[in-house]
Amino acid sequence: MSQAVKNKANRSPEASAFYIAGIILLGIVVISFIVSLFWTPYEPDATSAASKLLAPCLEHPFGTDNLGRDVLSRVMAASKYTIFISAAGVAIALILGTVAGIPAGYFGGITDRGIMLLGNSIMCFPGILLALVAVAVFGPSVTNVIWALGLVFAPTFARVCRLGTMEIKELDYITHARVMGVKPARIMTFHIFPNLVGQLLPATVIGLANMTLFESGMSYLGLGVQPPEASYGKMLSEAQAYVRVAPWLVIFPALMLVFYILGLYFISEGLRVNLSKGGK
Amino acid sequence: MKSKAGYFIGKFIELILTLFVVSLLVFAAFSIIPGDAARVMLGPNASEAQVNLLRAQMGLDKPLIARYGSWLLGIITFNPGTSYSFNMSVSDLISQRLPVTIGMSVIAMVMVIVISYPLAVVSARKPGRLGDQICSVIGHILFAIPPYAASLLLILLAGSVFSLVTVGNYVSPSDDFLGYVGCLLLPSFAIALPKIAMSFKFLRSSIIEQRTSDYVRTSKSHGLSDLKILLRHVLPNSNVSSITIISIILSDILGGSLIVEQVFNLPGLGRLLLMAIDRRDFPLLSGMVFYLAFITVILYFLSDIAASLADPRIRLK
Amino acid sequence: MHRFITKAVVTASALCLAAAGFAGCSKKPDAANNNAVVGITQEPGIFDPHTVVAAGDEEIIFNVYEGLFKYDYEGNLNPCLATEVEISSDASVYTFTIRDGVKFHDGSDLDAADVVYSLKRAAGLLDTQGGVALVSELDPIKTVEITADGKVQVTLESSNSELLCYFTTGIIPEGYDNCQAAPVGTGPFKFESYTPGQSVILVKNDNYWQKGLPYLDKVTFKICADMDAGLTELAAGSIDIFPYLTPDRVNQLDSAKFNVLSNGSNMVQLLALNNAVEPLNDLRVRQAINYAISRKDINTVTMDGTSVELTTAMSPAMGNYYDSSLDGTFDQDIEKAKALMAEAGYENGFDISCTVPSNYLIHVNTAVELASELKAIGINLEIKQVDWSTWVDQVYAGRQYETTVIALTSAYAPYDVLERYQSTSDGNFINYSNSEVDRLMAQIPLTSDVNERTELYHQVLGLLTADACSVYIQDPTTITVVSTRLEGYHVYPMYVQDMSQVKLTGN
Repeated sequence: MSQAVKNKANRSPEASAFYIAGIILLGIVVISFIVSLFWTPYEPDATSAASKLLAPCLEHPFGTDNLGRDVLSRVMAASKYTIFISAAGVAIALILGTVAGIPAGYFGGITDRGIMLLGNSIMCFPGILLALVAVAVFGPSVTNVIWALGLVFAPTFARVCRLGTMEIKELDYITHARVMGVKPARIMTFHIFPNLVGQLLPATVIGLANMTLFESGMSYLGLGVQPPEASYGKMLSEAQAYVRVAPWLVIFPALMLVFYILGLYFISEGLRVNLSKGGK
Repeated sequence: MKSKAGYFIGKFIELILTLFVVSLLVFAAFSIIPGDAARVMLGPNASEAQVNLLRAQMGLDKPLIARYGSWLLGIITFNPGTSYSFNMSVSDLISQRLPVTIGMSVIAMVMVIVISYPLAVVSARKPGRLGDQICSVIGHILFAIPPYAASLLLILLAGSVFSLVTVGNYVSPSDDFLGYVGCLLLPSFAIALPKIAMSFKFLRSSIIEQRTSDYVRTSKSHGLSDLKILLRHVLPNSNVSSITIISIILSDILGGSLIVEQVFNLPGLGRLLLMAIDRRDFPLLSGMVFYLAFITVILYFLSDIAASLADPRIRLK
Repeated sequence: MHRFITKAVVTASALCLAAAGFAGCSKKPDAANNNAVVGITQEPGIFDPHTVVAAGDEEIIFNVYEGLFKYDYEGNLNPCLATEVEISSDASVYTFTIRDGVKFHDGSDLDAADVVYSLKRAAGLLDTQGGVALVSELDPIKTVEITADGKVQVTLESSNSELLCYFTTGIIPEGYDNCQAAPVGTGPFKFESYTPGQSVILVKNDNYWQKGLPYLDKVTFKICADMDAGLTELAAGSIDIFPYLTPDRVNQLDSAKFNVLSNGSNMVQLLALNNAVEPLNDLRVRQAINYAISRKDINTVTMDGTSVELTTAMSPAMGNYYDSSLDGTFDQDIEKAKALMAEAGYENGFDISCTVPSNYLIHVNTAVELASELKAIGINLEIKQVDWSTWVDQVYAGRQYETTVIALTSAYAPYDVLERYQSTSDGNFINYSNSEVDRLMAQIPLTSDVNERTELYHQVLGLLTADACSVYIQDPTTITVVSTRLEGYHVYPMYVQDMSQVKLTGN
C-alpha cells in the first residue's frame, strides 16, 4: 500500500470530495441498472428497419444504432453486464485470493513459496493475454469471461492477503490463540480474515474497475458478451464504423463506461486517503 | 542476512521455477483447447483417413507427456515448430510481427516517461494548487478510459478534426524508418495515456513524500534542482521502486498493444494472436503466449535485480 | 537553473506530441506508380489451385492460374487455355484443343502434357494419389489422354453435361508440385510473395498470352483486420480497391474520390435449419419460420435494401435456371406462422440456438434481426458467435448445430448451387433428405438438352421450397469501391478479383 502523505489542509475534504464524486458517477450507472431491470424505453434487442441511425431526438434521446435499436435502452441494459461481470469476477478473485493468500502468509515456508510461485506465474502473463487465451480455449461467453478474469485477478488479492496475514499473525492475541491450540483453519477464518477486510476493500474497488476495463476490451474484440446482448465494449466496437456519421453511438456507451470506472477509482481514492490518514 | 550473490541466485532459481510453471500453464491450456487442428487445416471436405494421417504427422496422437517434452524442448531452443495455418516457422512469424509491437511499446514507454515526469515535478512543486488539482483530475479520467476507446477518440480527433494522421497506414521500418515511427505514434499514445496517468500519480506522491524529508530539504538548501533531487534522492528512496513501476507499466503496455493494434489495423503480435486463436494454431499460439510471458518474467527479474542494486535494503526483505 | 530544465522537458514532451500529429501524415500511393492495392479481410492460406477451398483464396489466385475455360464478369464461360471444346453427344467425352503460344510464369511453354498432368492431379488420377480427387467435382473423370492430333481427351465415368464449368481449374506445369510455396501458372500476374497477416503481392506477367494485358505492374492484396479497418485505409488512400462493402459504409466515403460498383453476387444467404434436430424436423415449424420473417426488413437493416430477396436456394442472378414462379411464396404472414406453430404443437414457441461465424458482420447482424423478428411467434433465437474455424468444424463439417446464418457461394453454374441438397452430398450440412431431389439431381447430368435441364432444375427448386428446407434470405449485392485513379475494374457475380483489365485512369 502506498503511503502518500497528503497536504494537511486538504485531507478530509479531499476524501469526501472523492467519495461524493465517486458515488455520483457510480450512482448514474447503478440507477440505470436498477431501472433497466423493470423498465427500458424500448426492448434493448428490438431492431427496426424504419428507424436506423437516428440522431438523438425526443423518441430516442440517445439516438438509434445501425440496426434501428434504441441506444438509451441498450446503454441501460448494458450496465447489467458491466456490473454483473465485474462483481462476479471480483468475487471469484477474492475467494481464490483469500483461500490462497491467507495460508501462504500464515504458514510461510514451502506453502508460501508454492502458492506465490503459482501466483507470480499467472501474473507474468500480460493481464489481458491470459484472459483472451482462457476465453479462446473455453469459448466466448459471459461465464467464461468471469472465470478468466477471476483467475487473472486472484494473485493480486492473494498478495494483499498474504502481506496482511504476515502482519496480523504476529499480533499477541493470534500468538495466544496458537499457543492455546486453536486450529489454524479456525484462526485464519475467524481471527485473521475479519482483520483483512479493511485492507481488501480498496483492492476490491480497484479490482472492480480494472475488471471492467478488461471485460470491455474483450467484448470489444468480440470475445466477451455475445450479441444481441448489449455491453459497452461490444457497442463501441459496433459503433466504430459509424464514428463520423453517428457519434452518439460512441459517446453514450463510452461515457457510461468511463463513469463506472471513474466512479470506482474515486471511491478507492477516497478509501486510500482515509486509510493513510488513519494510519498516521 | 543474505549475501548479494545468494540473493541473485535465489532470484534466478525463482525465475527458472516461474518459467517452468508458466510453460506448464501454457501447455495445459492449449492441450484442452477444443477443435481438431488437423480437421481445421484440411477443411470440411477432408475424409476421416486424411485427418488421422495428418494428426499422426503433427504428433497429435502421442501421449500428453511426450508432447509436452518435445514442445518444451522446442520452446527453450527458440525453435517452437511450424505454424499449422501458415506453414511457416513460428519464430519467423513472431519476428515478422515484433517491429510493430516492440516499436509501439518503446514509443509508448518514452511517451510515459517524457510526459509524466515533468508533469509530476511541476505538479508536486505546489501540491493542492489549481494546476496540480487539474492534473490529478485529468489523470484520474485518463486512467478510466480503456485504450481502445481512447484510440477511437483519437482517430476521430486526428482524422476528422485535424486531418493530419492517416490511420492504418503501416510502413515497415526497413522501408522508411520515420514513416514507421510516424504510423505508430498515435496508437502508442493511446496505450500510453492511462500509463502516463499512473506514472504521474506515483511520481507525484513520491516526490511530495520525499520532499518533506530532511535530507531533501538540505539538498534543496544547497541549491540542487528539482530534477536532480528527483533523480538522486526521490526515485531511489521511494517506497515502491520506480524501476518496479516501470516494469509493471511495460508489461501493461505490451498487453494494451494487443488490443490497440486491432483498432489501428497494425500487423503486430496482437493480430497474429487473434488469428492463431481463430485457426486453432497450437504451435503458434503457445509459442507466442509463452514468449510474451517470458519477456515479462525477464523484465520483472531484471527490475528486481536493478532495484536491489539501487537500494540494498530490498535484499533484506 | 532548475526552472529551465523543467521547462525544457515540458517543451520536449509538447514537441513529441506535435510530432505525433505531423510525422503520421499519410503517404498516398503515387499516381505515377503503376500499381494497385486491393483490400481483403480474409487471411489467405492456400495458393494451390487444386486444393484451394476458401473463396477468399480463390479470388486472389484467379489472377495467377488459368483453366481451360474462364468466366468473365457477365458470368459467361469462355475458352481460355483451350481454344475450343468438343463434347460427345452423350456428354461423356470432352475433347479440348490447347491454345498455342502460352507461357508459364517459369518461362516454359504450355503443352498438352501440362494439361493432362494438371487435370489428372485435380481428379486424383496420378499414381501417387490413390484415387483421391483434389477437386472433388472432377472426380467423375476416368481418363485424361493426349489424342493423336495433340488434343486433350477427357473421358468420364458416365455422362455429365454439367462438368464444363469445373474445367476452370488451374493448369500448372507438368510434374510441378510446389504450388503452395511458389505458385506457377499462366495468368496475367505472377506470384511474388505472401507475408502472413499483411499482404500477397502479385507482379505483371510480361509474357501473358493476351497481348496488351495486364496494365498494372504490381497488385498488392492487403489484409485488413475487418471491413472497418479496410474502410479507414481506403479513406486514407492506402487501399485502391475494396470489395464486399455494405451500403452504410459506402455512404461515408467521399464520392469524388471513389467509384462505387456493384453486381449480384450469386451468393445465397440463408438461415440454415438443421433438418435432423427437433423441432426443425417438423415441416410446419420450418414453414412457420419462413412465414414469420420479413426478408424486406432484413434487407433494409443489413444491406440498406440493396440485396435481392430470396425464397429459394438459387439467386435470380442465375438467369433462366432460376424459377421466378417461386417469388413471393413466403411473404411475411405472422398469423399463418402462428397457426402453423400451433398445429405443430408449439403455440408457446421454443428456444433454439443460432451459431454464427463472428467474422462475418452481415451474418451476425442478420441473426440479430432474425432474433428480433422471431419473437413474434414465440421463438427465442439464442445467438452463439463462434470463430470461423469452429464454425467450419462444428457446423459445416460436424453438423452439430440447430440453426446458422451463412452465405453459400458456388461456381456460376446451377449444378454447383444445388449439388449440396442431395442426401449424400458432403455439402449437405442442413441434413436435408428428399429422394425425389436425389433422383432429379442424378438425372440432370445425364440430360443433354438445355431446356429439359432447366425444367429439372425448376423442379428441384420447387421441392426445396415446398419442403421449406431452410430459410432463404437474400443475395447480398457485391459492392466494391474503386479509387478514381483506377479504371477498368469489373465486379464479378462470383468471388473473383480480376485485376487484368484494371489500369490507371486516362492511360
